[in-house]
Amino acid sequence: MLGSLLTALTAAVERSQAAGRTTSERLRQLETEQLTLHVLAATVVFLIVLPVLIAALVSTKRAGIVTSIADLAPGGHALSNYRRALIGLEFWRYMLNSFVMSIAVVVGKLIVSLLAALVIVYYRFPYKNAVFLFILFTLLLPVPVRFVPLYRLTTELGMGNTFFAITVPYLASATTVFILRQHFLSIPASLVETAKVDGVGPLRFLWSVLVPMSRAVLVGVSVIMFVYTWNQYLWPLVIINAESLQVAQVGLSLLRGQASTGEVAWSMVMTGSILTLLPPLALLVLFRRQLLETFTIQQK
Amino acid sequence: MTDLTLQGVRKEFDGVVAVKNIDLHIPDGAFVTVVGPSGCGKSTTLRLIAGLEQATDGMIQMGTQDVTGVEPKDRDVAMVFQNYALYPHMTARRNITFGMKAAGDFSDEEIERQVAEAAAVLDIDDLLDRKPGELSGGERQRVALGRALVRDPEVFLMDEPLSNLDAKLRIKMRAELAKLHSEFGTTTIYVTHDQTEALTLGDRVVVMNDGRIQQVDSPQRLYDFPKTRFVAEFIGDPAMNMLPVDIARNGTDYEAVGPTFRITLPEGDGLEAAAGGQAILGIRPESLSVADSADRSSFTAEVTVTEPLGDSLLLECRTGDQEFKLHAEPRTAVKPGDQVALTVDAERLHLFDSQTGNAIYHAAAAQSLEETDTVDSTI
Repeated sequence: MLGSLLTALTAAVERSQAAGRTTSERLRQLETEQLTLHVLAATVVFLIVLPVLIAALVSTKRAGIVTSIADLAPGGHALSNYRRALIGLEFWRYMLNSFVMSIAVVVGKLIVSLLAALVIVYYRFPYKNAVFLFILFTLLLPVPVRFVPLYRLTTELGMGNTFFAITVPYLASATTVFILRQHFLSIPASLVETAKVDGVGPLRFLWSVLVPMSRAVLVGVSVIMFVYTWNQYLWPLVIINAESLQVAQVGLSLLRGQASTGEVAWSMVMTGSILTLLPPLALLVLFRRQLLETFTIQQK
Repeated sequence: MTDLTLQGVRKEFDGVVAVKNIDLHIPDGAFVTVVGPSGCGKSTTLRLIAGLEQATDGMIQMGTQDVTGVEPKDRDVAMVFQNYALYPHMTARRNITFGMKAAGDFSDEEIERQVAEAAAVLDIDDLLDRKPGELSGGERQRVALGRALVRDPEVFLMDEPLSNLDAKLRIKMRAELAKLHSEFGTTTIYVTHDQTEALTLGDRVVVMNDGRIQQVDSPQRLYDFPKTRFVAEFIGDPAMNMLPVDIARNGTDYEAVGPTFRITLPEGDGLEAAAGGQAILGIRPESLSVADSADRSSFTAEVTVTEPLGDSLLLECRTGDQEFKLHAEPRTAVKPGDQVALTVDAERLHLFDSQTGNAIYHAAAAQSLEETDTVDSTI
């Protein structure tokens, strides 16, 4: 639905751009069209954000059971709820774990993907395209499909229930390699050829030329990778037993379990949800420009 | 500085042969231009010399060293690209020093001194702290040249370095390149598709077509004594006119006989063998002129198009079913549809084999084809 709306939006914008050249009638038509578009877009955004808004409201209440519209009025327990979740129920620990895991994965992924993309774009070796296709094929096997062998491998390597178990399996990323490859391909080949003739080594070229020339894309993919890692739930749930090592997404369900009366403490869960939402949200807001740039590259 | 030898060099890309068996010797300190149409293999040849491509077959020698399988960085060459290949995020100074620093053969003071020298020669002192985005095309190309200069390489390789510049700047930079070469004397190989650049810059010009070297010669000899029909038509603008003729013997003279003309050919090598057969007569547009009155040596043609160029009047003419161009005196009073009498400069005629396209005769009697051959093999 969102896709078709987007298509309609761009088509309308193009039409209005093409039409809006001369007469005032066309200008009026354009205004109406744009108004309709904005209303449409606002409605869609509202629908998407609605659950988050409700979660934010519930996180300010004591009980957090919503049965009528009146229950949606903000409550007065915001501060105590957030304090209880973060400190009382030690949610900060899960968030810290998630944060460390995400940073480690982002850095590791960047290094691995940069090197892979460098080799794929700038080096000649037999069956290069086949190798790249093989990397892309791994996209067909998402992490959950690999759980059983991955679990055996991780535990047999003695990494079960450790920090490595929730970072190392994420380090190779076909998506990142693909995005970086596309970006590197847009950099003129003569740059690397100059470097080769001048005796600039591949790693120096990567560090001094490719990385500075790819800054926006690197920030973009880093945000994507961070959010992706931050949102990991199933694998940490499977491989991590120690609560002290657990990540925020799994920690959310632990918040629910803290309800002593047997009832689900929805306000606590929503408080945790909003807390979990904040870091990715902050990143998206901060780096929206670089993200957009990254997505345009992907479309090339 | 060093000399460079290519022996039987061949390059295939996935079954497509880009360069077919090239033999070429480039003497120490020469400025050699390589010219040819797109896809003739000239850039590939340059990249083979740079080491950016590996030859499928053959040997490349620099001085006495066989460099065929040697990495680009160990060949001591510097390359200048058509798109300048400057790193956009680095200042001009950093662009120039980046390669030097990577090579690690230079001390900081040396780098400083080299950059200052190159900047002075290229007149880019004031631009060193700007990034490529803040420079014009000509300035960027100067920085790219500076980057090549400071490396003080054995051989300069230039791949159409002036193609992205506008016409005026190109002529200016052309003169500067020639000056730079006379100053530094570094062996230079310069690839271009522009025959004017090739002729004006090169001590020696290599004409390539279809992956093969057609001719290697000095610019004037290339123009005066093209070895093949391809070279004759490629060098010179407008191209040499090519008219199919019969070669007939008339007493002691030989004549080129077309449907509407008979042109007496001055005595020279190759005529005897060609007599009685067919050939292609090559006449440059400036070797034809409009005669005041028709006489025995002239023939008539109909003017189809007139193009006043200012310093001359370019006429397109037709005689029988053959079309050709000629440079007439400016302000000649002719218009399309006129019949004009034409005479040829008998010293400037060429004959080419109609099948192979090889030159069989050049009227300019003083030099013979064999001489061209010896020059070819020694360069």
